[in-house]
Amino acid sequence: MKHKHIQHLYWRTGFGILPAPLNTLSKNSKIEIVEHLFKASKSVTPLKVDTSEINALFASRSDFTKENRKKFQEISRKKRIELNVAWIGRLANTDELLREKMTLFWANHFVCEDNNILFIQQFNNTLRKHALGNFRDFVKAISKEAAMTKYLNTKQNRKQKPNENFARELMELFTLGVGNYTEQDIKESARAFTGYNHNFKGEFVLRKALHDTGNKTFFGKTGNFDGEAIIDIILEKEQCARYICEKIYKYFVSDVVRKEHIDEMVGVFYPNYNIEKLMRHLFLSDWFYDDENIGTKIKSPIEFLVGINGIVPVQFKNSRQLLYIQKVLGQTLLNPPNVAGWKGGRSWIDSNTIMFRLKLPSVLLNNAYISKIEADDSDSMMAMSSKNRNKNNRFKVEANWNVFNTNFKEVSLEALENHLLQCHINSKTEDYLQSLKKGAKRDYCIQLMSLPEYQMC
Amino acid sequence: MYSVNVVARISNVLVMDRRKFLKNSTLASSLFFVPSFVKAFEEVASSSLGYKRLVIIQLSGGNDGLNTVIPYRNDIYYKERPTIALSKTDVIKLNDDIGLHPSLLPLKRLYDNGNLSIINGVGYPNPVRSHFRSMDIWHTASGSNEYLQEGWIGRYLDHSAKHPYHAIELNESLSIALKGNKFNGIATQNPKVLYNMSRDPYFKNVLKHQNDVHLSEHNLGYLYKSMISAESSAKYIYETSKTVSAKDGYPKNQFGNQLKTTAQFINSGLQTKVFYASLGGFDTHANQKNTQNRLLGVYANSIEAFVSDLKENNTFKDTLILTFSEFGRRVKQNAGMGTDHGAANNVFIIGDQLKKQGFYNDVSSLSNLDDNGDLKFEIDFRTIYATVLNKWLEVNDKVVLNKSFNQLDFI
Repeated sequence: MKHKHIQHLYWRTGFGILPAPLNTLSKNSKIEIVEHLFKASKSVTPLKVDTSEINALFASRSDFTKENRKKFQEISRKKRIELNVAWIGRLANTDELLREKMTLFWANHFVCEDNNILFIQQFNNTLRKHALGNFRDFVKAISKEAAMTKYLNTKQNRKQKPNENFARELMELFTLGVGNYTEQDIKESARAFTGYNHNFKGEFVLRKALHDTGNKTFFGKTGNFDGEAIIDIILEKEQCARYICEKIYKYFVSDVVRKEHIDEMVGVFYPNYNIEKLMRHLFLSDWFYDDENIGTKIKSPIEFLVGINGIVPVQFKNSRQLLYIQKVLGQTLLNPPNVAGWKGGRSWIDSNTIMFRLKLPSVLLNNAYISKIEADDSDSMMAMSSKNRNKNNRFKVEANWNVFNTNFKEVSLEALENHLLQCHINSKTEDYLQSLKKGAKRDYCIQLMSLPEYQMC
Repeated sequence: MYSVNVVARISNVLVMDRRKFLKNSTLASSLFFVPSFVKAFEEVASSSLGYKRLVIIQLSGGNDGLNTVIPYRNDIYYKERPTIALSKTDVIKLNDDIGLHPSLLPLKRLYDNGNLSIINGVGYPNPVRSHFRSMDIWHTASGSNEYLQEGWIGRYLDHSAKHPYHAIELNESLSIALKGNKFNGIATQNPKVLYNMSRDPYFKNVLKHQNDVHLSEHNLGYLYKSMISAESSAKYIYETSKTVSAKDGYPKNQFGNQLKTTAQFINSGLQTKVFYASLGGFDTHANQKNTQNRLLGVYANSIEAFVSDLKENNTFKDTLILTFSEFGRRVKQNAGMGTDHGAANNVFIIGDQLKKQGFYNDVSSLSNLDDNGDLKFEIDFRTIYATVLNKWLEVNDKVVLNKSFNQLDFI
């Protein structure tokens, strides 16, 4: 398989690929490489932070005091940061690469947020477990997650007074897309999810007295439907498969949707909803490797961050700073903007985020230096003044250049851009890059990472 | 800074459309350096004129308008909201029937001064009860079955702005409302941070070596365009606004800071026409009372500090503040001591040049609800936009909104 195509595959299923594995894989065929990816993601390794403190806090029934609950909230807050950092660490270093990338995708599909560390961790691992499984099982599992019953108010959804929040988002965001149901469908299906709740451990509980067992008329069918039956009826609609395929296409292939490709994907996905089968079809298709799809997506903040880390590993001494960077870039894991999640694509980019993205590699890896000062540019002297430098260099990080030196030992200065940049380089930019190819490989690496082109994958 | 003479000479050169000039000129590769002298020219031209500004405040999540502007004599109100209704004694009375939420005392003072106009029953036909879709509708000024890619402020920029900084969102990221076809507004919470980042000489060199091919490439071109506008705007915003500091007294929270920075921008004479701030958390499906108490308090106290800051600097007369939320909430409360997504809602207009002070129109009927049990809309939000565009920002509202809407007479 061609280098360019392997790199493309590894950017979309992961966060890029280093020179050595790239060389090894290039001797293999497309099928072999894709199968290798799936095989490595067969297993599921849950992501867990140490929560023994909490177990100790509630060892017996008498421990459920107001004071202990308050302590629990404090621990949860702290542990949520740990989970965020652990998740990024996982993305940067995992054998189950595709499963992790899919988990990241689903976390922005089944969007959820919860202060309770136990619930959100469990939710996160449910995403991981079903990431390549069956979409039907997936939706049902999500509907019963403690964090979800809290987030979309299903636990306030009672027979006497239905709460429509979950029913609405289930159809609008999780399965069908807006406009493919009526207000009446929402009202009726909300009744089917009445009585949903959870216990302290985060296990699903159906409160029978609050569950509406009457007949519901939903999408033209009438019966005493429960939540699972409603999900089954929704999934009978091909539109559900189409909606999911479009979202997967936009995430893994291109912002520009081609209907013929979606039709093909729907043919694979519907009616069995096998996610692994769909993804295999995608990565084996010829059109996935079309030039128009290579290096034409804007990296998400997490792809950008984890990608940098893959080239030069960065250790944060203060994990709050890693949180801060995510916030400014516009994507803090476990903290989505709302139930629609991050819009992605161009909406990652505005005046603030573009400058921050361009500046970040040098700030993290090189004391905020990108290039050496050119003698005739008085403005640059100003910008490089020591006062300014300290402001930019407030992150306490340790960049491990030894890893870079080892991994890129065999890569010449001229060839470095082929490993760092996925998109086509304009001739004028190429001219400028030529003028920079005089210094050390390390400096050139920073310069390449500080180009708008580095934002593409 | 260029002297007036230099500017005059440059302006003679600039007889053709400036954009065309930039494109055709051999200076194209140094596009980067052009805006500074053009800007100098524009600053002379527009100085000393009354400079009207619009401040938009978005209450995200769907603020419960019925517990904001309260019909405290209406039996239906108390019947439908047995545990979350505000009692007659708690309501701040504006007249014999209607009062404000107790957290809105500062708004009562604005009301008494004739600086507040309350427009009731604002919405649109076939209301959508999804946050995101309804917010998009408000942001893009579309109909409920119409999907637009540009925001109404973005289209205003396309139509009449010369720089991205003519609209600033006080946020870390930019809403679709401020995204146009040719122009995007600027998103920034802290102008200094943006400025410091943009000053690296490496970026100047990269931009010197870009050409039109870059700009035409789909997503990469978008990155280059964003980079160019960020660099030129960052410098201007920072250098202009650093001369002024805002007064104390703003609540110490994110929203208070947004309005504080906005006041600093306005009082420094920054040539920005539209500011955009937002306060979130209004999606009160459960335990609404405490949440709304707190949020409306944050809103009202920040507004009061903001207005008095502007008054001290004599800029309030040229500022109009528009507050909206993507929808109101259902009349009947739910089982979780909260309310579900509804439809029509109230809009607040705050300013010193209001034609119609106090109540613009009557509050919505609680007996004549739609099929979902929600308030029916009476005033299309786009008629408010049209009025603001036409009478305040003085542009052709039909071009910006792609459609003709009635004008209201609150300003």
